[in-house]
Amino acid sequence: MAGTRIPPGVFVAALAVVAVAAPLAMPTPFYVDIMIRVALFSFIGVAWNLLGGYAKQLSLGHAAFFGLGAYTSTILEVNYGVSPWIGMLAGGVVAAAASLPIGAMCFRLRGPYFAISTIATAQVLMLLFLKFRGLAWGAEGTTIPNLGDAPLMMQFAAKAAYYYVALALLAVALVVTWLIERSWMGYYLVALGEDEDAAEAVGVNVPRIKRHVFAISAFLTGLAGTFYIQYIYFIDPNTAFSFNISVEAALVSIVGGIGTLWGPVLGTALLEVTSALLQSWLGAGLGGVQLTIYALILMAVILLRPTGLIGLLTDARDRLFGGGKRTKEVVFDG
Amino acid sequence: MLITLAQAVVNGLLIGGIYALVSIGVTLIFGVVKVVNFAQGEFVMLGMYVSFFLATRLGMDPIVSLVVSVPVLFVLGMLLQHYLIRRVLGLGDMPQIFLTFALSLLMMNVALMAFSANYRTIQTAYSNLALHFGGLYVPVPKLIAFAVAMGLSALLWVFLKTTDLGKAMRAAAQNYDVAMLMGINPDRVFAVAVGIAIALAGAAGSLLMAFYPAYPMVGQVFVLMAFVAVVLGTLGNVTGALIAGLMMGVAESLGIQFVGADSGMIVVFVMFLVTLMIRPNGLFGGWAR
Amino acid sequence: MADALVVRDLSKRFGGLLAVQSFSFSVAENETMALIGPNGAGKTTSFHLITGYHRPDPGSSVVAFGRELVGLKPHDICAFGLARTFQVARPFGHMTVLANVMTGAFLRGRKLEAARERAREAIAFVGLEARAHTPARDLTTIDQRRLEMARALATEPRLLMFDEVMAGLNPSEIDQAVALIGKLSGRGLTIIIIEHVMRAIMAVASRIVVLDHGQKIAEGEPKEVMSDPDVIRAYLGSGYAAKPAAGEAPC
Repeated sequence: MAGTRIPPGVFVAALAVVAVAAPLAMPTPFYVDIMIRVALFSFIGVAWNLLGGYAKQLSLGHAAFFGLGAYTSTILEVNYGVSPWIGMLAGGVVAAAASLPIGAMCFRLRGPYFAISTIATAQVLMLLFLKFRGLAWGAEGTTIPNLGDAPLMMQFAAKAAYYYVALALLAVALVVTWLIERSWMGYYLVALGEDEDAAEAVGVNVPRIKRHVFAISAFLTGLAGTFYIQYIYFIDPNTAFSFNISVEAALVSIVGGIGTLWGPVLGTALLEVTSALLQSWLGAGLGGVQLTIYALILMAVILLRPTGLIGLLTDARDRLFGGGKRTKEVVFDG
Repeated sequence: MLITLAQAVVNGLLIGGIYALVSIGVTLIFGVVKVVNFAQGEFVMLGMYVSFFLATRLGMDPIVSLVVSVPVLFVLGMLLQHYLIRRVLGLGDMPQIFLTFALSLLMMNVALMAFSANYRTIQTAYSNLALHFGGLYVPVPKLIAFAVAMGLSALLWVFLKTTDLGKAMRAAAQNYDVAMLMGINPDRVFAVAVGIAIALAGAAGSLLMAFYPAYPMVGQVFVLMAFVAVVLGTLGNVTGALIAGLMMGVAESLGIQFVGADSGMIVVFVMFLVTLMIRPNGLFGGWAR
Repeated sequence: MADALVVRDLSKRFGGLLAVQSFSFSVAENETMALIGPNGAGKTTSFHLITGYHRPDPGSSVVAFGRELVGLKPHDICAFGLARTFQVARPFGHMTVLANVMTGAFLRGRKLEAARERAREAIAFVGLEARAHTPARDLTTIDQRRLEMARALATEPRLLMFDEVMAGLNPSEIDQAVALIGKLSGRGLTIIIIEHVMRAIMAVASRIVVLDHGQKIAEGEPKEVMSDPDVIRAYLGSGYAAKPAAGEAPC
């Protein structure tokens, strides 16, 4: 892809070294906390981007998979003593399995109505977990028993350890995306995102590819749900199925560069750092401010630079080093 | 039992009138401009706050304040079309969905900062009045809201059927290319259509204010109902949206009555998803995907 | 010669409109057939019906290389060896020409390098090499049609269906397109074209089928069909004769 061509291995290696060493340079846990959020939401964004960015199926209901992953591992841990490491995989599998019926319903609609039907499914799941106490603790939710430093139960004394878990998840998602992007599946996803009928005409089994990418995306999002709940030691339906999760998944990808490998990471970095700065300036009373800023950034991207931060960076690179023709949109090359 | 059922249906129809107004707005914009307005609920919220402040500062009755909220929101709607929606027409799903989505986020959070998260209600002389028909209980503010909502819907229907501008909108909704060939000025038709749709949301807000609390996120309830109604009522079909809006109200009310107090939304969403499975094109006629 | 495609009683009703009525025809292997008729005669609808984009009414039968296609999805039909182009080209706009054609090539093998190789061949075949890395939406309409032919070719079809690929071409471009179709036929492919350009039809088609109001009104060798009084009436009656042969016609 022009503009998002994987930077030379050296660059990725350097980035990895910085990412791994960064917590050591952080003066207070507050900063590590921000880094955890950046890694986690980048991860969710990369997962969303597979479906929403490459295949252009704009989901606003990824909280469904986040919540299912979170509840699966928590139920397994609290009720059956199963390690969240295993619970996390189980949660991913449950989320992927749930994506099949959800996809069967929602893929009947296209464009905005697909987005709305995904909102509806996530809401239904949240309401079910709120209403049916037999399912899992109802509206009160539950706390995760704190075992102190218990790595086997995904509990760590050091904040940095959580960061490395999130970073590892992000690395997995990036590698998965990278592999898909340069395989037949990447071409199929972009093609069906452009024109489903034309994709069918060249032999693309559109419903099947959509199913597959939805399942992969849901699986990864489910892992994020487990991690997040382990990190905050608490679960309830409003946290696990929060609409904000669905929104942020889409937002970071669009702001960073929809349908690009690094877009969600850049987008998350911008939004989370903005949010952290606001928090330190305004203290606790930032409720509306943060989302107001997010909304303004989103509008600016859509109206001025639909390729997002990736587009800005590509332009900057081209201006510095000459080379590539300026393009307003991401183009997929052979 | 029968009276409980009848009461639930009446409750549902009364609130369904509001859902219908919001749904008609969504479907009008979608039909003519081909964009789904995710911020439609926030304009309901805005209408509510307009009426709230007119009531508390000037003592204006919320129903009377329609004469302010409707024209103000009509103008806002024209501006929305001219400055925002127009810039993403024909640009594909992502910008079209996320532009109005961002607007919705923006309006909610600016309202949160400006008005706080507190629930605001107002008292009118008729707030606690109710009519009794047999065993049925009909609160006056809701009845007025329902009647005005139906009146406005009828007015819109007459406008679409009889005026040149209304016919132009229907033509644009049915076949954009043909409408353009007929010499319709899309900028004007689009702006008026979006203006009307937003004015309807504002009217819904003013009517609601007589019996429903205003708060920054209040629009979310109504817009989700409207989306469901619009899909069920066949996209872009105004009459379908009206009927489906009423049906949503009844379905929600029956859910509350017979499944549990917090189950109204579950019933509605489940209905929505089931309908998608059996009739993805909506209940009222074909809409080609 | 064996039949590549046998269509029997193909019918489609849209609401009150009978778009295609009991349309039957067959194409022999390696034959090039032209499907002609006035605008709105049901030609493109027939393509949609054969390739699975619309479901034919009950009683219709479409057999390709001995297999019934009715009820199959477009991608199955493409995988079975029937490739088509669209009347208004539908390239993947944000993909380059090469990426577009590779998407077609993946049908016969998922290896990246091999697909790129096959795509380059198909691109060369239609003469688009110079534009291989151009985003498809930046191509001229004519090049977009070439691209669509290359994309169809990359799926390695046995039967190609071209929907007005020559509309809007100038005479020398028509000659190129005619030569291209000749080359494809020389490779053993069966070809059906919907076309209005008479010169091209006479040059490539061994047989013509004429549709009017959804019904077949004539069939045979080009010369005899073009002198058939019914055909002349259908064309003159719809005012077709007044139109330039190379004009684009929405069907």
